[in-house]
Amino acid sequence: MDNSIWISILGFLATVVLAFTVGVFYGGFVRKITARIQNRVGPPVYQNFFDIVKLYSKKTAVNHGWMQHLAPALAITASVTSLMFIPILNGQGWIWFENLNFKGDLIFLLYMMVFGSLGMALGAGQTGNPHSAIGVSRGLSQMVGYEIPWVLALVAIMMQAHTTSITGLLEYQNANGTWMMFESPLAFIAALMAMLGMFHYAPFDVPFAPAELASGPASEFGGKYLALMMTSGSIFAFVKLVLIVDIFMGGASNLIMLVVKTFLLYMVPVLYGIVSPRYRTEQSIRYFWGWPTLIGVLGVLYVVFTR
Amino acid sequence: MNSLFLIILILMGGAVLAYLAKKVNPMLSSIVSFVAIASSAVVFFLMTDRESVILHIGGFELQWGLNAYSWVFGAMVISMASLASLYSIAYMKGKDRLGYFNLNFTLSVAAMMGILFSMDWISFFIFWEIMTWSSFLIIIYNGISEGKIGIKYMIFSAIGGYSMLMAMVITKSQIDSFLIADLISNFSSMSLGLQGLIGVLFLIAFSVKSAVMPLHVWAPRAYADSPMSYTSIFSGLLSKMGVFGLGIMLISVFSKTTNGNIFIYSEVLAWLGAITGVIATFYAVIQTDAKRLLAYSSVAQLGYIVVGLAIGTKLSVMAAIFMAIMHAIFKGTLFMAVGAVERQTGTTDMTKLGALIRKMPWTFVASLMSIIALAGIPPLGGFVGKWMLYESLITSDHYFLIVMTFLSSTAAFLYSYRFLFGIFLGQEEKEFEDVKEAPAIMVVPMMLMAGSLFFFGMFPGYIFEPIAKGMEYLGMGQVDWNMTVLSNGWGDHVDTLSIINSILTVVGIAFIFLGLKNRKKTRYVTTKDIHTGGEIPTENENLTYAVDFYKPFERAIEPAMKRKMDFYYNKFGEGIETLFDFVRRIYTGNGQTYAIYVVIFLVILLIFSKQIFF
Repeated sequence: MDNSIWISILGFLATVVLAFTVGVFYGGFVRKITARIQNRVGPPVYQNFFDIVKLYSKKTAVNHGWMQHLAPALAITASVTSLMFIPILNGQGWIWFENLNFKGDLIFLLYMMVFGSLGMALGAGQTGNPHSAIGVSRGLSQMVGYEIPWVLALVAIMMQAHTTSITGLLEYQNANGTWMMFESPLAFIAALMAMLGMFHYAPFDVPFAPAELASGPASEFGGKYLALMMTSGSIFAFVKLVLIVDIFMGGASNLIMLVVKTFLLYMVPVLYGIVSPRYRTEQSIRYFWGWPTLIGVLGVLYVVFTR
Repeated sequence: MNSLFLIILILMGGAVLAYLAKKVNPMLSSIVSFVAIASSAVVFFLMTDRESVILHIGGFELQWGLNAYSWVFGAMVISMASLASLYSIAYMKGKDRLGYFNLNFTLSVAAMMGILFSMDWISFFIFWEIMTWSSFLIIIYNGISEGKIGIKYMIFSAIGGYSMLMAMVITKSQIDSFLIADLISNFSSMSLGLQGLIGVLFLIAFSVKSAVMPLHVWAPRAYADSPMSYTSIFSGLLSKMGVFGLGIMLISVFSKTTNGNIFIYSEVLAWLGAITGVIATFYAVIQTDAKRLLAYSSVAQLGYIVVGLAIGTKLSVMAAIFMAIMHAIFKGTLFMAVGAVERQTGTTDMTKLGALIRKMPWTFVASLMSIIALAGIPPLGGFVGKWMLYESLITSDHYFLIVMTFLSSTAAFLYSYRFLFGIFLGQEEKEFEDVKEAPAIMVVPMMLMAGSLFFFGMFPGYIFEPIAKGMEYLGMGQVDWNMTVLSNGWGDHVDTLSIINSILTVVGIAFIFLGLKNRKKTRYVTTKDIHTGGEIPTENENLTYAVDFYKPFERAIEPAMKRKMDFYYNKFGEGIETLFDFVRRIYTGNGQTYAIYVVIFLVILLIFSKQIFF
């Protein structure tokens, strides 16, 4: 068999394992930090890893139909496929395991990233749980909110670098020697504010709202389903972080830089969330259509007039 | 015999035969209609070279022909109409006035083909009016407050028709020819004022049919209240005739204006298209009736297509025509699916329906595929069109248009989910316990169309090829395309095959791991058997979440939804009424008053005689 196929399969596996490990441990850190701020001891950082392993080993007793079977599969598909299109480690002209990095671009990723939520939403819908339906309705509504500043930010940097591909943006930052966050600061602020919504931490945790909705869309999923969803969630958090690091912070050339950058970035929604109560859905949407959108528009105008 | 002539003849003859066949057997009428459309489809696809024919009728010379551009639309119309008429056989079974319905159904297909074949404005206009009338007659077929909906449609169609007629007459008086090709070649030699006038008139004519913002108000009700087998071509194909005309106008006529650039108001048209997209999407989100939801969504999708055509770069025009074809397929399928649901359950109200997924699995699969394509989620054909549209907008510096289109296409996820959830998912309802899957003759066309969405998502090149030829015919120069790789002006690209492979692999692995291993071990439970915080729901307890599904979103967008366009038209109508009321007061019917008017008129003449006569 051709050698390159094995290398690409190895690359695929290595990327997934890395994303999974980092994502799961970040989840643990968040639990620990939350606990410390709330003056608790909190679980160990590897607790999420144990949870996932435990859930994988559980048997599932009941189901509500084939869409429910399919939903976690769709969720993990979105996470893993998005991961394949994002450069994880890169430097001057090299990329660590390029996977499918050159086969897609940012606009494709925008759509690929909602694939999983919609698949999950369909599975949650089939269970017939009203909490799930309410959660989905809230989640999709809020998505319309934060996608607007997010797209504005992306448009601004795509105009700036004259490319829509992530590798192209990395090359641009490498060639210019600066990070995008300093070249289009307004776009970066807009993206950061949109990111608060994307990570669904408080005050934007309306779709899952543990106190009202019993964790919303996920409420009918247990055992292996939940394990797969947690895996997918961990990978997806990593995907979002690496994407923002790639397009705004010049990527990372080694693992330590990657961890430092993504972790700092991750702390923005987490620390903001811990001390915040929860918005109502319409407040959340209006929040995103207010200042973040305005800053995004200014960011686009800034690029247009300084280019 | 000439194939074009033969196609029109078969369709026209089929229409009449279908009407007569009703007398023998109602079912036969639908079958005759299907056979006529399907056989003309065979003739159409067997045609090897571009033929043309000249007819002499009443001193006029009518020219018909087929070019690369109209072939794209022709292939779309005739193949989708065949599937829709096949579906119609089962859908219309047992309904009354089938002869009337099939006559108009076949006639509108004939009219659409005629529009595409027309090489001069006379036959274009004749077929355009046949299309308008036959669709009008079908709108009033159901008899649901036909007065209002039908008249609204007729008024707007009349506005469109008369503008077209006026533009044609002006064209004739200027260049002494009714040929479309002559207008294209002579347009640049006209004065700027005339170019503007003809342009605006034609744009109004075509915008009415493609439901662009201020002229869209007829569309939602007209789409929702016609029989579904017709709506699938009404929304899928008839609206594309407007797109067809807009394409000719924007690409080959306006690009030849004297001031060099693409016509100045193509920007305006693009913005109108984008605003149409946003507002119509918002309205689609708050609908509770599945048909209305799809109808508003059609208006929104046509908005994107207009944006693409109006921008006028190679990529955007390619995107627009590609999206037009995709929209025809997925919206046709969705209307068919709603029709199947309506036929099996008797309602399309999403607050009443629920959990049909286990009863109508094939309809669900077809709807799911179409909804994925509608939302533009990657593996299916809808994504290709959306991607090209965004790339063309961003590479041509339309940064705020891209945000508008993105807003509407993100909000489209809301109604997409609502549609699937409201009909197929959610709590099982007692009323619909015995619902069965629709007959095979309805399911097969739906599944074929849904399958084609997947195929064209994988190999979009099969559609790019004819579109590229059509665009070259319209004078856009060499258009590059690739079977599976999409690329934009900046050299960025997306490879559809890698995407599909990646998605299928991961879904496959995850599903085998979860689904197949778990399928036998798990037990199916009803939707009452769920996590409810410890309480066991009783038999009659209602756990459905279907009313005011997107209430928070409605609250957030409230300011944008205060006024409907209808409101302005009604105000305009009232204004006109007041004006005429005033005019009526002048004509009192009293001889004395008229005498006074004459006196006043003479006095005015006397006073101002110097200014008037000298």
